[in-house]
Amino acid sequence: MPFDPNRFVAEATDFISSTVGKGKAIVGVSGGVDSSVAAALCAKAIGKRAHAVFVDTGLMRKGEAQFVSLALKKAGVGVEVVDARKRFFSALRGLHEPERKRKAIGKEFISVFESIAKKRGCKFLVQGTIAPDWIESGSGLRDTIKSHHNVGGLPKKMGMRLCEPLRELYKDEVRQVARVLGLPKELSERQPFPGPGLAVRIMGEVTEEKAEVVREACAIVEEEICASWRQGKMGLPWQYFAVLLPIKSVGVLGDRRAYGWTVAVRAVESVDGMTAKASRIPPEVLERISERITRELKEHVNRVVYDMTSKPPGTIEWE
Amino acid sequence: MEVLIVDFGSQWTHRIHRTLKYLDAHSQIIPVSTPVKEVLKADALVFSGGAIRIGLGDTKKIGNAAKFIDSFEGPIMGICAGQQFIGMHFGGKARPARGAEFGKVELFVDEHNELFEGLPDRFTVWASHNDEVVDTPGFRVLAHSKDCSNHAFKSLSRPIYGCLFHPEVEHTEYGSEIYANFLKVARK
Repeated sequence: MPFDPNRFVAEATDFISSTVGKGKAIVGVSGGVDSSVAAALCAKAIGKRAHAVFVDTGLMRKGEAQFVSLALKKAGVGVEVVDARKRFFSALRGLHEPERKRKAIGKEFISVFESIAKKRGCKFLVQGTIAPDWIESGSGLRDTIKSHHNVGGLPKKMGMRLCEPLRELYKDEVRQVARVLGLPKELSERQPFPGPGLAVRIMGEVTEEKAEVVREACAIVEEEICASWRQGKMGLPWQYFAVLLPIKSVGVLGDRRAYGWTVAVRAVESVDGMTAKASRIPPEVLERISERITRELKEHVNRVVYDMTSKPPGTIEWE
Repeated sequence: MEVLIVDFGSQWTHRIHRTLKYLDAHSQIIPVSTPVKEVLKADALVFSGGAIRIGLGDTKKIGNAAKFIDSFEGPIMGICAGQQFIGMHFGGKARPARGAEFGKVELFVDEHNELFEGLPDRFTVWASHNDEVVDTPGFRVLAHSKDCSNHAFKSLSRPIYGCLFHPEVEHTEYGSEIYANFLKVARK
């Protein structure tokens, strides 16, 4: 029998009520569909004893904090926004290797949640962890592909107990749950965004400057692809974004030599994130993206390339 | 119907569980260290793929898998490393693949028996392997690709099947039909 979202909602609310009991829980929300569904399920199961927290790491999408508060409000979930930009950038300073970056981010998230949990007397942390998160984080015979911040990036000792109602689900199933819960479309149909945020879209060391550049580049990719989709020029890919490669190449801008970074554009077709194929984006759309990125970010970027790699052998995000 | 999925550590082990669930077959993922007597209760076994390099003789970590094959008499399906292990267990030659395949592969079906029943002669499958198994005595090759001669096989004496590609992932065409065909054998 295919997945039954209504039955899942009933089981998941029971699971949350029995796990949290009479206690209180922090719900980590990121603006993605997984954590939004987890938050909506908690609101249903334990009402005001669930406290949703959005951590602004400085590595989120453009305009994200506002977007999340508004969208979740529509879904009946109030959100506390924590500005943690400084501590995330300082934790990432000097880190180049993707696994070290991911673990540093996981640790920061938990310390932010722990301090709020202490203040509010919350014993549980609810996360929107889904199957690919723990699968790719590895364990036993299963190789670690990437430590997802909410699984493999968790510190060994934590002052809260985990509650993860969506662990068995994949993204397409989570979206079905989001629809039956009546979440606004801008949440239920939203493209995936990685837990560690833009940190994994900046190859190597993360700085505020690079985060600003890749945030803008991601926004341009999203705007252009969505506009072409609305005009019926292409299907909407499963996921679409920009990656900043701090590799320099030579260009020429206004008769002057330029020596700047490269941006890779990535767009894929997938259902569950476990296999993926590069999207066939019309060349004129790619051209427009390349023009806008190199013009609007001309101080930093003078070359744009398109990634045609499937998963496997690639993964969807680059780190 | 209870299918046990023997976990060799694939990224897609849980996808096998999902595919079987969607086909109304109850399944459970079990570690390779599971005692043999617990496995004997199942109606069918699936050996998942995994990161182990069967082609380099890396079989230290596969626990009781050989005993499962020797003692379990019902249908068994091996996927990727699982297929290579089964082939090797019966005397086939596992080796690094002449042409390793990652992602899209065109599959040519050589023989439409119960496993490929009702499916086209060629279709797109998704693979992810460094190794392959060839020269498998007592097995008939059912499908190949441009780079791999043994992409699916079947035992001549027991209900044992194997696919080097991954029928459990979304991008494989007719993947769910292949598992449905395997379940048909198991339900007989």
